[in-house]
Amino acid sequence: MRRRNRTTTAANGRVQPALAGSAQEALLGSDCSCCLSPASPPPPPATPAEPVAFDTESRFKEKPWEYLETEEYIERYGEKPVWFGYRRNHKGAIPPQKTSKTCIRGKKIAGNPCPVCRDQKLHLDYRNVKLLEQFICSHTGVTFHPTHTGVCMKQYKRLTQAIDKARDHGLLSFRIPWVTLQDEDYSNQHQAVAKTPPAPSLQSQAPWYSWYEWQQPPEKDIARIRKIYKNYLKEETGPA
Amino acid sequence: MAALGAPRCLWRCAAAPLGLPRAGRALAGSRGHGQDAGSEADKKESHATKPCFTDEAVQSLLYKMTGLDLQKIFRPLKQELKPPTYKLMTESELAEATRKAIQEAKELLKMSPVLSEREPIDDVLAEDRILEGTETAKYVFTDITYSTPHRERFIVVREPTGVLRKATWEERDRMIQVYFPREGRKLVPPPIFKDENLLTVFREDRHEDILNLCIAQFEPDSANYIRVHHRTYDDIDKHAKYHLLRSTRHFGGMVWYLVNRKKTDGLLIDMIQRNLMDDATCLVSLYHILHPDCQSAKAAKDQVLHGVDLIKVFMKTESNRIGYIELALQAYQEALASSAAL
Repeated sequence: MRRRNRTTTAANGRVQPALAGSAQEALLGSDCSCCLSPASPPPPPATPAEPVAFDTESRFKEKPWEYLETEEYIERYGEKPVWFGYRRNHKGAIPPQKTSKTCIRGKKIAGNPCPVCRDQKLHLDYRNVKLLEQFICSHTGVTFHPTHTGVCMKQYKRLTQAIDKARDHGLLSFRIPWVTLQDEDYSNQHQAVAKTPPAPSLQSQAPWYSWYEWQQPPEKDIARIRKIYKNYLKEETGPA
Repeated sequence: MAALGAPRCLWRCAAAPLGLPRAGRALAGSRGHGQDAGSEADKKESHATKPCFTDEAVQSLLYKMTGLDLQKIFRPLKQELKPPTYKLMTESELAEATRKAIQEAKELLKMSPVLSEREPIDDVLAEDRILEGTETAKYVFTDITYSTPHRERFIVVREPTGVLRKATWEERDRMIQVYFPREGRKLVPPPIFKDENLLTVFREDRHEDILNLCIAQFEPDSANYIRVHHRTYDDIDKHAKYHLLRSTRHFGGMVWYLVNRKKTDGLLIDMIQRNLMDDATCLVSLYHILHPDCQSAKAAKDQVLHGVDLIKVFMKTESNRIGYIELALQAYQEALASSAAL
């Protein structure tokens, strides 16, 4: 009786063919009554290729500078910057002064992706200074224009943000603007910044406005109102 | 509002005789200007034996120690490159150009002020409990008259509880930056000034850069300014990187900090190793000005010492690293002897 090819479903729900050759014979053999070996569980299926790539990307996401040390990077780029040798596709001799808006729209990737988008392991992070320095001119300290390096506008925006953040955190050196301190009066004697004595009502814990607390009204007003409402006053209804 | 006006007039009348001292503009800035108004104050302070950073004697010593390396002050910076210009000059023209460069260098070496930390402001001007619950946010009122100096600007905050108080120093700096933005200063101080990021900067030997950034960002009497400066000076002292700040405007402040805390050994060794004996004697005399009660100061006054003898007396009485200083002095004297022999 020939057993149908068993299919196993892996953890991510994808259906894979079962093992061929000796493994299947082992499975067949386990049913045979002559060899009374205990039913060994089937060997686990081979791990599929996709989760491995996902692991390296996430590893480089947390430590993006490690990718620049790997053999893969050195083989691909050598000593040159990442954007070296990249050529944009455009009509005519003069390229448009703005590069493409983005290389990846949803799941669709453009035909000729920019140097940053084409290598998914390159992450523009404020911490991998070596990658950021490739996009800054070492002589002038100016970030290269996207028409020079070929990056798309979306990645260029992320690049400038990463460079600013790296400069703010002190990881990237840059030219500091020279500020001369004017001769100012630092004595702090003016009323605006010196101690003002608190108001008397604050010191004595009295209310700020006198009417914040109940004040006994003057006798004249009480008498006047009593006279107006004398027919309705409770305590005076008796004697009238 | 009228009710608010009345007590304020009362305080003004009350404040004047109580003596918020109207001392006039005692400029505590750099050395050139402070002397006229401050000389009387200095005399009083010298009676109380507490020399100030702005004293003429102190400033001249610090200026001598800073040095004037034109090659370092006018070194080429990273900027947009232009084709170089060449000038053909005679000897006199070259001398004139050097003199102008030295003058400009002196302007660039003007020291930044060293002040004590400012007192926090927490004065309540009014309490209007009737406004409680009407608003959900604080209101900050700033006087934006263009001609008032920033230190005389009134900035008050109305809290949601109805309390009208003066703005704190941080709020003042932020508001003044909003209405009168200064170049190089950001609204929120960048994270480079946090302690962990300072370490990264120090590892790359960018002490001068961080001090220039600090001057651009903070007021000279703010806590952050003082903290960043002290951290930088401590790191330089720890790793003996004094040469990074020589011929900059920060060297004077660093020497003042180290001499006040009696941490002069490393600096002295560095000066002797670089054959700067004049600077070493200046350092020792500054130490004596600031700590006139120490042994070496009294010995120097009694015996009127100069040069290497002064340093030797100082070394024996005040320093912790006598061995290193002796070695350095020995090496210096041997070098002198050999060069004299040649």
